[in-house]
Amino acid sequence: MCVNRVVGLLSARSTSTRLALAVGGLFLLSYLLLGAGLYYAVSRIFMQDLHEVIRLDSQDLVDLYRESGHAGLMTEISERTTSPDDDNAVYELIAPDGRLLAGQFSNLPDSVRISNGWVKFDEHNDDGVVRVIAKVQPLHDGSRLLTGRRSRNQARFEALVQRNLLYALLAAAGLGGLIGWITARWVARRLESTYDIANRVGAGELALRMPEDDSDDAFDRLAKRINAMLDRIQELLDGVRHATDHIAHDLRTPLTRLRNRLEDMRVEHAAPEQFAVELDAATAETDQLLATFSALLRLTRIEAQTAGANDTEFAMQPLVLDAVELYAPIASERGIVLDAQTVPCTQRGDADQLFQLVANLLDNALKYAARGTRVALHLYDDGDAVFLLVGDHGAGIPAADRERVFDRFVRLEEHRGSAGSGLGLSLVRAIAHRHGGTVTLEDNSPGLRVRVRLPHAVLR
Amino acid sequence: MRILIVEDDPHTAAFIAKGLTEDGHTVDQAANGRDGLFLATTETYDAVVLDRMLPGVDGLTVLRTLRGSGNATPVLLLTALGDVDHRVEGLRAGADDYLVKPFAYAELSARIDSLLRRRQTPGTETTELRVGDLELNLLTREAKRAGRSIELQPREFRLLEYLMRQAERVVTRTMLLEAVWDYHFDPQTNVIDVHISRLRQKIDRHHPKPLLHTVRGAGYRLGVRE
Repeated sequence: MCVNRVVGLLSARSTSTRLALAVGGLFLLSYLLLGAGLYYAVSRIFMQDLHEVIRLDSQDLVDLYRESGHAGLMTEISERTTSPDDDNAVYELIAPDGRLLAGQFSNLPDSVRISNGWVKFDEHNDDGVVRVIAKVQPLHDGSRLLTGRRSRNQARFEALVQRNLLYALLAAAGLGGLIGWITARWVARRLESTYDIANRVGAGELALRMPEDDSDDAFDRLAKRINAMLDRIQELLDGVRHATDHIAHDLRTPLTRLRNRLEDMRVEHAAPEQFAVELDAATAETDQLLATFSALLRLTRIEAQTAGANDTEFAMQPLVLDAVELYAPIASERGIVLDAQTVPCTQRGDADQLFQLVANLLDNALKYAARGTRVALHLYDDGDAVFLLVGDHGAGIPAADRERVFDRFVRLEEHRGSAGSGLGLSLVRAIAHRHGGTVTLEDNSPGLRVRVRLPHAVLR
Repeated sequence: MRILIVEDDPHTAAFIAKGLTEDGHTVDQAANGRDGLFLATTETYDAVVLDRMLPGVDGLTVLRTLRGSGNATPVLLLTALGDVDHRVEGLRAGADDYLVKPFAYAELSARIDSLLRRRQTPGTETTELRVGDLELNLLTREAKRAGRSIELQPREFRLLEYLMRQAERVVTRTMLLEAVWDYHFDPQTNVIDVHISRLRQKIDRHHPKPLLHTVRGAGYRLGVRE
């Protein structure tokens, strides 16, 4: 199974195979370019040398002709032809009418007989075909002097280079393939554990994490990212499970009450007025349940959200003042002074959610504050973050309970009887978190002060 | 009024149909998007109650197709998805209003009434609203009851204006929050009630016939009807 997987990773369409092919191909290409360049440069130098030798030789003979005349030149050529210093040197004196007067050749191509300057032609002799490079120099009497070299050495050099290049090419192909294969194997092995763990997590083993080696290379960073993602998924799942437990526990009570009430109505043949009262109570109970449900759904959705595309930049001060204005009548009805100190500041996020946050905080503060006291709201901006503080002089929350009250449906015993779903602070924290912020509960001596910090730049 | 209900859950559909029939409307029903679209395009309705999640063709597609064909029948979209972005998406697709499940029938009824009323008085920009002996001048921003001037805070003015525009119709607390405060949120306590009672103090005190009525289990109604 493990082998199959590695083979799978190395199959034609896999990244590692493409990588191996690309590395091998590039290796070959660079070898070819290097070889071709080398071959071209060396051949050029070789040719230049050959031309220089021929030019000097030709010049010698022309000087001899000038001093000793036609006869002297004939003697020199036949001497050089019969006992050559250089096996590759060729000479020929050609008459104005094209006849060959002296030299090695018994025959020459017609084009060479009548040409001037540099020529190249093939000489056919016992050894086969040899390439000849020569210079044809016209003389005063109308004849032409051909001085040249057989390019045997160059041909030998070219053959050598070509052969060696081929060997090098084969070696490079092998080496490139090997390097590619090693790279692919390495990538495949690094990916194998990721692949394996992703499979197992997908199959339900949610607690598994990718191995991190702290090398901080691309694979390590990928593993860390995946682990962070798995942690987040785990957190959300825990939240859902937690919520489900609480729903089962906390909603059963009002539902049972509702059911009992309905049964009573069926059994007792009460007076119509009594009937109406009971019905109203049942409806109110249902409404409360529905409200709890929508708060719960909303909470779960907000917790699953990230700072999203629908976020806008808006002024925080008017939003907070709107909430204060909404709650002011309730405050004055309960004999509480609602005091707001705000400064202009902006925030990025979901305005409806932040309004809900402010409303929940005011709602809570007004619910628990004692008559005749003051509820103070502060909104300020320290440059990095917007701060919202809501403080009351109520009973406060004991330090030991300050973390617990954020959980869903948690209501401290002394408040069990009062209205509310027990989701208010959970919602506040979920909204703050979704905006990258934090919520802390502090002692307002006496009472509770809630501090919400909403950073301007949301760290991802 | 003739109303089409497109809803796949038979219980919800029957519940809405019963309520709307009792309110005096004629009701047609479709249980999926295809039938709904067919009825909405071949028949003439005064309003459509459209569920967002439907088998086959979903609610948003029905809505877009309807609007694409130039049909302007008011549509109330029902949905279990209540996020701001879902709401924005629904309204952008051409919905006139949006109601999140679960809902109380009173909420649906009030919103349907509001949609039907909007349709009856298209674009008539009035400068003065009048309900019984209560007058509201939108230009001078003055309120009067029986000729006597009433002092109103800016928010109270907006609240009264909305109630008077919906005169004789039930408006729910959520509708008031959305229309007057312009925030979509769930108040934990009925903050609106306190604002209403303050407004009631200002317009109904010293008058034998109250105009601002509380409709139990639903919301409020401003009107001369008892």
